[in-house]
Amino acid sequence: MQFFVDSLLSALALISSFDPEVYLVVWTSLKVSAIATAIAAVVGVPLGVLFAVKRFPGKRALVLILNTSMALPTVVVGLFFYALLSRRGPLGHLGWLFTPQGIAAGLSVLALPIMVNLTLAAIQGLDARLAITCRSLGASVAQQIVLILREARFAVTAAVVVAFGRVVSEVGIAMMLGGNIKGFTRTMTTAIALETSKGEFELALALGIFLLAVAFLVNAMLFLVQRPRV
Amino acid sequence: MTLAYSLTDISFYHGPRKSLEVARLELRAGEVVALVGPNGAGKTTLLHLMAFVESPASGAIQFFGARVMRHNMLTCRRRVGLLLQNPYLFHTTVLSNVMLGLKIRGISKHAGRSMALEALERVGLAGFEHRPAKLLSGGESQRVALARAIVLNPDVLLLDEPANHLDRQSVVRTREVVLDLNRSRGTTVVLATHNLAEAKTMAGTIAHLLQGQIIPGSPENLLSGRLSDSGSLFDTGRIAIRLPARVSDAKHLTVDPGKIALSRHRPASESPNTFHGRVVSLAAENGLATVSVEAGERFQINLPWTSDMLPDLRLGQEVWITLSHDGINLF
Repeated sequence: MQFFVDSLLSALALISSFDPEVYLVVWTSLKVSAIATAIAAVVGVPLGVLFAVKRFPGKRALVLILNTSMALPTVVVGLFFYALLSRRGPLGHLGWLFTPQGIAAGLSVLALPIMVNLTLAAIQGLDARLAITCRSLGASVAQQIVLILREARFAVTAAVVVAFGRVVSEVGIAMMLGGNIKGFTRTMTTAIALETSKGEFELALALGIFLLAVAFLVNAMLFLVQRPRV
Repeated sequence: MTLAYSLTDISFYHGPRKSLEVARLELRAGEVVALVGPNGAGKTTLLHLMAFVESPASGAIQFFGARVMRHNMLTCRRRVGLLLQNPYLFHTTVLSNVMLGLKIRGISKHAGRSMALEALERVGLAGFEHRPAKLLSGGESQRVALARAIVLNPDVLLLDEPANHLDRQSVVRTREVVLDLNRSRGTTVVLATHNLAEAKTMAGTIAHLLQGQIIPGSPENLLSGRLSDSGSLFDTGRIAIRLPARVSDAKHLTVDPGKIALSRHRPASESPNTFHGRVVSLAAENGLATVSVEAGERFQINLPWTSDMLPDLRLGQEVWITLSHDGINLF
């Protein structure tokens, strides 16, 4: 118990002393996660709307695949992207393996099904009168999409927050595509795994506290956006 | 005479079920028209087609003389205001809801605001502009939706069951605003209702809908059956009605309740369409006495209050009814 208390005190000292190594790791994590979430949102939200409003053959199968993809094993995504980005892979010329771009690309694929699925569910859960009301007010197709998304804004924001929470806390992709390079691709999760294996509990615990703080903030945001309001 | 709508051979399906089939329907511009029918008759579907928020499976719609196609649908839609039975209000303030259609049309915020405030005043909701729309009562919500529709100054206003489940104040205000629009701007008004009394109060023309079809005449005395005697008799299975002329095809028949003669004694010159029956109910409705007579089929007969028959009519009394030829409609 004393060991745990000592480690916790050392971790708090590291945080309060603004240790550059700790903050660089936190920054890298937040940066790649934010970029991945943004990419997934830009692609996934319109796809979610499209899948929700359009009727097409194979829609049920697609929704089933999307549901399954929400539990995508991160090491499988990591492995797939490793093959794509490695020197001999089709995207090897980009030189993204073991870079923050590589991690962000892998994480965006992890976040994409979450974004599409939650947006689709949000739009399908909207009142059926909304589409008729938009049309009867004379909205063009583009204006209808904007109005529908605006009505689903809390649920779509929740999708963004959930996707961010998923990518910031994953370790497999960051490890396989980032390579855990100190000061470059080391994220909170890969650093925790490494420092723990080295016996450096203070640093691992300090990063763990940050990760928990991020998780708390993400959930606080989710709570705030889902509060009933005007 | 300008036609606001001319519908030809319209059909609409809900899944595999044909929910609407209109061979022909013409509505004059500037009229107040009521579409009357029971729940599920197709009134809402017809309104949605007339608002161009749904498209028919087949047939053509002419709107103020122009055939409505994909390329001009948005333009036509923007000339029509639709008030849903249970309107949807956006998660924002009352004012923003009323301004939405104006914003869609690119009207400036400043101009839109004053137009929206004026519309809110017309529907009796001045001072409500900053209230959250979702917290309004049913009647207030409907008046906000009415303001949202009339602020766009539409050529046609479509109302779906405007008096359903609403407080009297909202019903009266809605009726006043709509009729005032019709008088002052010549707005064509089409209201769908299941209430014939409401239809008669508001509308100059009434079209009856039943099972997705516009029926000729009124539906109080609607009979189903088949033709016999080379198309000169309509046989319901319980009575046979002699038709004014031979017809080749008909499955339904209506008899106008005002075109049925009622007498306490067997008429001296008995017509083929005279039937013996008993009075089964007596009621008052819209300034008329309504007598129901069981005479093989049940017939509803409307009598003016001044009718000599009324003082002596009793439930169970034996009577004779005679259907007038000009009150019979077949379809």
